[in-house]
Amino acid sequence: MDVVELDSLTRRYGRRRGVTDLSFSVPEGSLFGFLGPNGAGKTTAIRVMLGFLRPTSGVARINGLDCWRSSSRVKADVGYVPGDLRLYPWFTGERALRFVGAVRRMDLSRAGRDLAERFELDMRVPVRRMSRGMRQKLGLIMALAPHPRLLVLDEPSSGLDPLMQERLREHLRNVVRSGSTVFFSSHTLGEVEQLCDHIAIVRDGQLVACAPLEEIRRKAGREVTIRWKPGATPPTPLPSLHVFERHDGEWVASYDGAIDDLLTWLRAAPIDDLTIAPPTLEALFQRYYTSEEKRA
Amino acid sequence: MSIGLLSKSWREAWPTTLGIGAAIFFVEGVLSFALPKLQEQVAAPLKSMPFLQNIIAAMIGSDPNQPIGPAMFAAIPWVHPVVLALLWAQATVLCTRVPAGEVDRGTIDVLLGLPVSRGKVFLAETLIALLAGALIVATALAGNALGAGVGGNVLRIPVAHLVVVAMNLFALNIAVGSFALLISALSDRRGRALGATIFVILVSFLLNYLAQFWDPAKSVEWMSALQYHRPLPALQTGTIQWRDIATLLGAAIVFWSVAGVIFARRDLATT
Repeated sequence: MDVVELDSLTRRYGRRRGVTDLSFSVPEGSLFGFLGPNGAGKTTAIRVMLGFLRPTSGVARINGLDCWRSSSRVKADVGYVPGDLRLYPWFTGERALRFVGAVRRMDLSRAGRDLAERFELDMRVPVRRMSRGMRQKLGLIMALAPHPRLLVLDEPSSGLDPLMQERLREHLRNVVRSGSTVFFSSHTLGEVEQLCDHIAIVRDGQLVACAPLEEIRRKAGREVTIRWKPGATPPTPLPSLHVFERHDGEWVASYDGAIDDLLTWLRAAPIDDLTIAPPTLEALFQRYYTSEEKRA
Repeated sequence: MSIGLLSKSWREAWPTTLGIGAAIFFVEGVLSFALPKLQEQVAAPLKSMPFLQNIIAAMIGSDPNQPIGPAMFAAIPWVHPVVLALLWAQATVLCTRVPAGEVDRGTIDVLLGLPVSRGKVFLAETLIALLAGALIVATALAGNALGAGVGGNVLRIPVAHLVVVAMNLFALNIAVGSFALLISALSDRRGRALGATIFVILVSFLLNYLAQFWDPAKSVEWMSALQYHRPLPALQTGTIQWRDIATLLGAAIVFWSVAGVIFARRDLATT
C-alpha cells in the first residue's frame, strides 16, 4: 500500500513555478528520499502534502485522504519537521512536548524524555537560548515523540553535527523497522544514499527520477577524475566511460560499466592521479538529463 | 475545542493583556478620580471654546447644546484618547497574531503541522481574544469605579450604569478586534496588518472629530466606530444602548466571518 500519493500535482505561485505535474507514490514502511537542489520544489510539494498550500491542479493524498480537504485528519498520523524550523520563543523542550501532547491528546513525556536523552537535549532550556542545532533536535523530538505512521522531514539534519546526524539516521531506521514510513527531503545525495531505500529526484519543479535506490545507483555509476601524465596522450575511452569534461590534462567522466574493465583499462593508461567517487547530485542530474535526452 | 490550542493562545496573550490591563486600570482610575475635581476649573475655559466643547460632546454622545455638567466629566474617562488607544492596541496586537504574526515569525509551519484544523485555530484565537478583551474592559471598569470611589464619588453614578458603559466599550473592542483579525487573515506580515488596522482606526477616530465642523465628513460619520460608543446617555440613565451594541457586534460578525473564510481557504506557510 502507498502511504503518500502525488497525482499530477502542480502548484504555481502566480507566474512563479512551484512544482509541475509531479506524480509518484511512497510505499508503506519505506525510507523515502526526496532529493533535489535548493529551489527544486521539494518544500512546495511537502507543504501541499500537509495542507498548507492548495494545489493548482492534481492531488496529493496521504493514507488515501486528500491533503487539502482532509488536512486535519491527514496530520493525525503525520509527524513533520519543517525545513526552516522556527519555534515559539516561550517554548522549552518540556513546554513544547506538553503543547504537542495537549493538541494530540497524548502523554508524550516519557517518549520525549527518551528522545531527549538520545539526542542529548536539555529540555529545560528556553528556545530563545537554544542554538540552531538544539532547536532542530527539539523539532525532531516533537515530530518523533507521538510515533506517527508517517514522518515528513524537510532537510532534518541541517544544523546537526555529524554524530547527531548518524544518531538520527539510526533512529529513523528503527522507526521504519517498527512499521512507520519516513519521507526524507534533502539536497545532499550522500545523506539520502546512506539512509533511504527509495528515491525521488526533483529539479526545476519536475520529477527527474523515482526508483529504488539500487536502481538509481546502478544508473548513476561512479564519477571518475583522471589526471594524465604531462605530455602523455590519453587512450581511447571505454564505451561505458562518458567523459563530460576535458581540460589541462584532466578528464572528468562517469562510469557505469564493470569495475574490473575500468581497472584493466586504467592499468595500461598513463595516469598521474585518479579519483573514483560516487556522483555528486549535480552529476547525477546531468546523467539523468542526458539519458532522458538520449531516449527522446 | 482543543485545550492545547487554547492554552497556547492564552500563553501568548496574557503578557499583553496584563500590561495593557494594568495601564488602563491606572489611567481610568486617575481620570475618574481627577476629572470630577477639576470640573469647575475646566468648565469655565471650555465654555469659551465651543469648538472643543463640540468635539467632547461628539465623543461622549451628548447634545452639543447641553450645558457642561458633572456627567460630562464622568463620561470622559470612557472615551479619553489614552484609554481608547490602550484598548485598541490590545485588540489589534492580539488579533493580528494569527495568521499574520505566525506566518511572519515562521511558526505557522509548526502550528499547522499538528493535527489541528484551521477552524479550531481560528476559534481558539477568537475565544482568547474575547476573554482578554473582557478582562481589559473589566479592569477599565474596576479602575473607573475605584478612582471615583477614592475621589469620594462626587457624581454618585451607580455601578450598574458603569457596567452598561463597559458593555458598550466591550462591543467596541470586539468590533476593532474582528477588523484586525480580518486584516491579519489577508496578510503575511504582522507589521503591515498592524499598520493597516491602526490606520483605519485612526481614520475612524478622526472622522468623528471632522464631522463636528466639516460637512462632507458628516455624511460618512456613520462609518466611525466612535459613533456607536456614547457613554453619556448610558451613565445618566443606565439604559443599555442596544442599537449601538447591535451595530458594533453586527460589524464584528461580518468581519469575523469573512476573516474565518479567508483563513480557512488561503495558502498558509512561512514565506
